[in-house]
Amino acid sequence: MKITILNGENKNDAGRFTDYITEISTLLKASHEVVDFTLNEMSLNYCTGCWTCWWKTPGLCVIKDDAEQIFRSVINSDLVIFASPLHAGFTSSTLKKITDRLIVLIHPYVQIRNNENHHQKRYDKYPDFGLILDLESDTDENDIRIISDIYDRFAINFHSEKKFLKIKDQHSKEEILDEIINN
Amino acid sequence: MKLLIINGSPRGKNSNSTLLSEKFVDGFMSINNHSVDIANIAIKSTRDNIHSQIKECDSIILIFPLYTDCMPGIVMEFFENVHVSAVLKNKPLGFIVHSGFPESKQSTFVEKYLDKLSLRLECKYIGTVIKAGSEGLKIMAPFMTKKIFNQFYMLGKVFAESEAFDSRINLGLRKPYQISAFKLSIIKLLSKTGLTNFYWNMNLKKNNAMHLRDAQPYC
Repeated sequence: MKITILNGENKNDAGRFTDYITEISTLLKASHEVVDFTLNEMSLNYCTGCWTCWWKTPGLCVIKDDAEQIFRSVINSDLVIFASPLHAGFTSSTLKKITDRLIVLIHPYVQIRNNENHHQKRYDKYPDFGLILDLESDTDENDIRIISDIYDRFAINFHSEKKFLKIKDQHSKEEILDEIINN
Repeated sequence: MKLLIINGSPRGKNSNSTLLSEKFVDGFMSINNHSVDIANIAIKSTRDNIHSQIKECDSIILIFPLYTDCMPGIVMEFFENVHVSAVLKNKPLGFIVHSGFPESKQSTFVEKYLDKLSLRLECKYIGTVIKAGSEGLKIMAPFMTKKIFNQFYMLGKVFAESEAFDSRINLGLRKPYQISAFKLSIIKLLSKTGLTNFYWNMNLKKNNAMHLRDAQPYC
């Protein structure tokens, strides 16, 4: 299985989450093809909503930075892992920055799915994804539900399925590895 | 009242967020003794100075477009910063979320996040306005935008009088929550003719990119 890990720990975070994700990634590499992106070490810019990727150079992002290797890896993977410490009740801005840019992988045309308007596929196949989160001291069940629901919505537009949501200090590494491998 | 409108659109000044907030400001300024500042956080220097602007104002409205079912990345960066600094504690704060998708349901998931965020920031939560179908506002004929612009004008006027979002206007703006079964069947029929993608095709053709529209460059 080909797995892409998008690690969204912010640059000014302590780095412990990145150490943890690196351990998970190393364990996975024993049996799978894993590409592990530490986003805060890369040159990445915010999506500007220019829509060049939808109507000028279809499928290609006009921003010249390190995002292209992420686009290639994501669309050619079987599973993507969105990994992030929570900040202000959501996954980090570092992760959201690249998530916004993923619209380059879908088509501007809209179609009706689930009785709603959603974008059509650009590619034949999209990876499913899972979440690995590290909680804030005040994270509650409601926060987790809000995040989970938003990623389920994202899954519809991304022609994908959210397979799991795991929490760093609540699930053991073995449990998380098992979840990843059996999806 | 000194109002600060934070424009969270990555398109900055040239955005549908600007267009909608201008109408809101027209209504807001129709009542005397008010002033308004607009901060486009797409600009980095504005992002970096936003704390002093927040401290100086009485009330804040953050407007942003829905990006991948949630807030744009720059808005999330803003949330992280104000969470750490606690600058919004006890400040009146409201949100306006708009989406290109025509149904407001798509923005109600981030609304739940904003509800919870307001608790976390310990601000005085004014509420969240949702407006769907905002893409292409700039190119729409005036008869198509008249109603929306009027609604935002009235929203601003009532806000100037009460420092609250008028619930009736907000309910009106939220229509449709979902597209009716009847309209969905029409859209499905129209999509076979290509008419539903008129806006995209118009721009693809303008850029001589129509023949490339299904490209899969990263595969």
